[in-house]
Amino acid sequence: MTKTPKEVFQARFGRRRFLGTALAGAGAAILGSFPRISIAGTKTVKLGMNIPMTGDYAPWGLPGLYGCQIIANNLNTDGGVKIGGDRYMIEMVAYDHGYDTEKAIQGFKKLALQDKVKMVMMLGGSTVGSVLPFAMRRKMLTSTLLPSDITPETPYLVAPCESHPLYNVTGVEWLARKNPNAKTAVIITTNDIEYGKQSAATYNAAFEVEGIKVVDVNFHGFDVVDFAPIVSSLLAKKPDIFCMATDVYTTPIVEQLFHQGYKGKIVSCTLDGYQDVIAKTSKEFVEGLTYQFPDFDDPALNKPGINFPDPGGFDMAFNKDHAGEWSAVAWEYPSILLNWVEAAKAAGSVEPVAVTDAMKADSSPPHTFGPGKWWGKELWGLSNAVVGDWPVVAINNGKARIQEFRSVYNWLQKYNNVLKKHMQALDLRTV
Amino acid sequence: MISPRIISIVVLLVGLVILPHFLKFHHQDFLIFLGINILVVVSYRLMTLTGEWSLIHIVMMGVGAYTSALLSKSLGVSFWISMPMAGISAGFVAALLCFPLFRMTQFYFLIGSFAVGEAIRLAWIYFVKPFGGSSGINNVPPPEFWGLDFMEPIIYFYLVLTIVTICLFILYRIENSRIGLTLHAVHWQAPLAESVGVDTWRYRSLAFIIASLFVGIAGALKVHYLGIVTPHQFGVGTMVFVLIWVILGGYNTFWGPILGAVVLSVLDESFRTFEALRPAIYGALLIAGIMFLPKGFESIAPKVRAWWRSSRASPSP
Amino acid sequence: MELFLQSIINSFIQGGFFALWAVGLVLVFGVMGVVNFAHGELVMVGAYTIWVLHAQYGTPYLWSLCLAILLVMMIGLAMERFLFRPKQGDPLGGLINSIGVLFILQVVAHVVGGTGPAKQVAPPYAGTMIIGELLRIPYQRLFALAISAVALLLLWYFLTRTKLGWSLRAVAVDREAAALQGININRTSAIAIGVSGALAGLAGGLMAPMTNIYPTMGHNVLITAFIVTIVGGMGSLSGAVIAAVLYAFLHTFVTVYVSGTIATMCGLLIMVVVLIIRPTGIMGKRVSE
Repeated sequence: MTKTPKEVFQARFGRRRFLGTALAGAGAAILGSFPRISIAGTKTVKLGMNIPMTGDYAPWGLPGLYGCQIIANNLNTDGGVKIGGDRYMIEMVAYDHGYDTEKAIQGFKKLALQDKVKMVMMLGGSTVGSVLPFAMRRKMLTSTLLPSDITPETPYLVAPCESHPLYNVTGVEWLARKNPNAKTAVIITTNDIEYGKQSAATYNAAFEVEGIKVVDVNFHGFDVVDFAPIVSSLLAKKPDIFCMATDVYTTPIVEQLFHQGYKGKIVSCTLDGYQDVIAKTSKEFVEGLTYQFPDFDDPALNKPGINFPDPGGFDMAFNKDHAGEWSAVAWEYPSILLNWVEAAKAAGSVEPVAVTDAMKADSSPPHTFGPGKWWGKELWGLSNAVVGDWPVVAINNGKARIQEFRSVYNWLQKYNNVLKKHMQALDLRTV
Repeated sequence: MISPRIISIVVLLVGLVILPHFLKFHHQDFLIFLGINILVVVSYRLMTLTGEWSLIHIVMMGVGAYTSALLSKSLGVSFWISMPMAGISAGFVAALLCFPLFRMTQFYFLIGSFAVGEAIRLAWIYFVKPFGGSSGINNVPPPEFWGLDFMEPIIYFYLVLTIVTICLFILYRIENSRIGLTLHAVHWQAPLAESVGVDTWRYRSLAFIIASLFVGIAGALKVHYLGIVTPHQFGVGTMVFVLIWVILGGYNTFWGPILGAVVLSVLDESFRTFEALRPAIYGALLIAGIMFLPKGFESIAPKVRAWWRSSRASPSP
Repeated sequence: MELFLQSIINSFIQGGFFALWAVGLVLVFGVMGVVNFAHGELVMVGAYTIWVLHAQYGTPYLWSLCLAILLVMMIGLAMERFLFRPKQGDPLGGLINSIGVLFILQVVAHVVGGTGPAKQVAPPYAGTMIIGELLRIPYQRLFALAISAVALLLLWYFLTRTKLGWSLRAVAVDREAAALQGININRTSAIAIGVSGALAGLAGGLMAPMTNIYPTMGHNVLITAFIVTIVGGMGSLSGAVIAAVLYAFLHTFVTVYVSGTIATMCGLLIMVVVLIIRPTGIMGKRVSE
């Protein structure tokens, strides 16, 4: 269960010395490379994370490291993983590139060549783009959260968990079914390509499929302090649905919607820190607000078929040590870690090429929320992204609740032409 | 009789040729970026000779990088042509900007150069065709020469070493030529220089154009190694680092900025384990540096020499 | 029409903030001759103070605001005493020192706040004022606008009607003459940066309930303050205020009807035009180089 900000703050500061937080974050990298006490006869396999741990993109890196450490710890306490006749302890090695392309390359090389990791997990976007030439030449298994990084020349790059932003279609589908009278929508997102434009194209396609007209799309820069003018200009179009295809700015945008008296529906990709949103608006205002990222103490995650062990326990463990730092990636990187473990077991080896082949050989690879399918050739020339089901989350009475799981795969099978059309309209790369 | 200075330079170069073989891969990368940054600071110093400090230098590096990227990726031009073109285009843009920018001096020039630079950077973000927006341009091809693999750090390092050494040599010669002396005069004795017919505006512009030309080449070197260019690489943050290297290294000698870049980059890398705290340590170093070594690291050398001389002169008991 | 009126209100509120940001920068530059690159971070510290005291510990907002003002003022005073005073006459040295402070303050924010998503402070004055059917102004923003206006008026009074304020202006105009008149330069510098810090802390505290709080939020503040200061005139406070409001109008309307990125580009280009045509700004006095 997530705590109030005050409890969060006191929990963190009560436990640690004043500097502890930073040192813990910095030290996570160091701690991650301390060898674990191992049972005699077991080996250690190192898995790398080349992620932003400081700077503006830190929320999409560091929480993932924390999540992986929890899962790795659990696996190791159970005696490690049995791969091909040996028992392996798992060790996470992280490198902070701060979303700087030069550092991303240096980090990747250090992880691959010096730490000799068997896989590198990354966030996605230009940092992945810069490491790909080296990564593919070395045949290093690399994971990303953005399938748009995948090209026919990247056989060892996979997107096994999040396939941003394809899953957003489920929220639109669900919202449209529940609100058949909604006719128009506006979209707000950032003006970069890998997150903003990709998301806008996906939402455009999703709305078109439901017969909803997108009357305005606003691409804003990363330097916006005050969203009042932008929200005003979007609301002037009198939309029935307000769509936030953005990550960092959801709180101030929803706050503006509240202040400007918006009465329609809201759908978003993420809504990190929704308690803050409620504090700034009201419980009534956010009732029914739809987005895509569940709290992990949601009982719906305990249904059979979910490929994540004990989500509730994970949520508790995370909030015990890292309260207030949960973000959408906190469970995604661990999910990829678990995928790796499964594939390594199937391959009987930890070597990147063997594990990749094992992953691809499975025609129904495990996805976090159920069985998945390899997909992507129609858009990017290579099917290295796993798509399956994805939860539609809505706020009910101040708490995020999964409404249902919808199939991203089915949507893509039917409508990938519509998506392609919208991607091309925004000059996004497609085959 | 070869001067000791030439001998020490040759020794240094030989050392640099051997060095990467003893280093790990990501340290080899570090050397490459350090070499490129040395070209950046030395070219910047040429501008500061006229007493003008700009905040647009790093954007000119970006102009060079984007030019080389576009030429080689979209038009298939070979690196050996696109690299000098990068320098030329940066110099050309600088020439155009001379007209508005050099109507201001000193503080206003600083701010004005920042504004223009930032506007150019925003243009790269806004105009997705052809600049690729905030994701920039990727898949920029590496150089080709005799089948050498320029994606190997050691090979690329030798490329950088060669080109940067040549550029530094040229810059050194410029500084010690008549042009260089005139630049000094424009800085220290502007009214006097004008009274003998020196057009200070022309010389300031010349310094700016030459500096931009060389930093444009540095930009090409960078983009063909990384394979990617984004607007974020050329923002105020990076420019601030250039300023820091030059000021802390000292800008009274040719070697000062190089010293600054090397020392500070090495220090920055060695604090990697303190990742989250690193900027604070860096900030503290800056303050310590400017308070205790106001004339820069280069001022240590004369002090050491003086101490050495005085300790040798004193009679032994 | 509704959008137009709403944009006017938004512009005034933005203008109040821009003015607070810029005025602090002008004060320090005018009196001390140094550009304080850490000015944006001072505003950031003000915002974080509210987050810690009010959002985390529950201290009432107004008390937290006072403490924010006090804290940033003291940081400013410390900067003057230890970093700027030894570098009097060396603007590059002062600049480097301020950059050092910039880095340090950003890391402090990281340590205090952790690396989660941006911090949020729930507005203490919740609710929205609705005028007719057209205009909606959140009470928090009205409060911010009112306090900004009061602060600027107090500053104006201080500078034009008090002896201390006159001594600040004297030092800004001619340092040596002021010293010859017996004005204590160090004390005047301290007062200038103290006031600058107080204004920055106030701005940060007012912004806190209205925006994302994150360690690098000072970057935008600095750039905007620069644009406004140059256009208004580096030595002129009234120029800065007028330029702040004008720039806020320009930025808001261009953002609404075109795009936010174009708005910032326009601002930068106007700055360059002003620098070329009239370097001392709209209302600036001649600043000796």
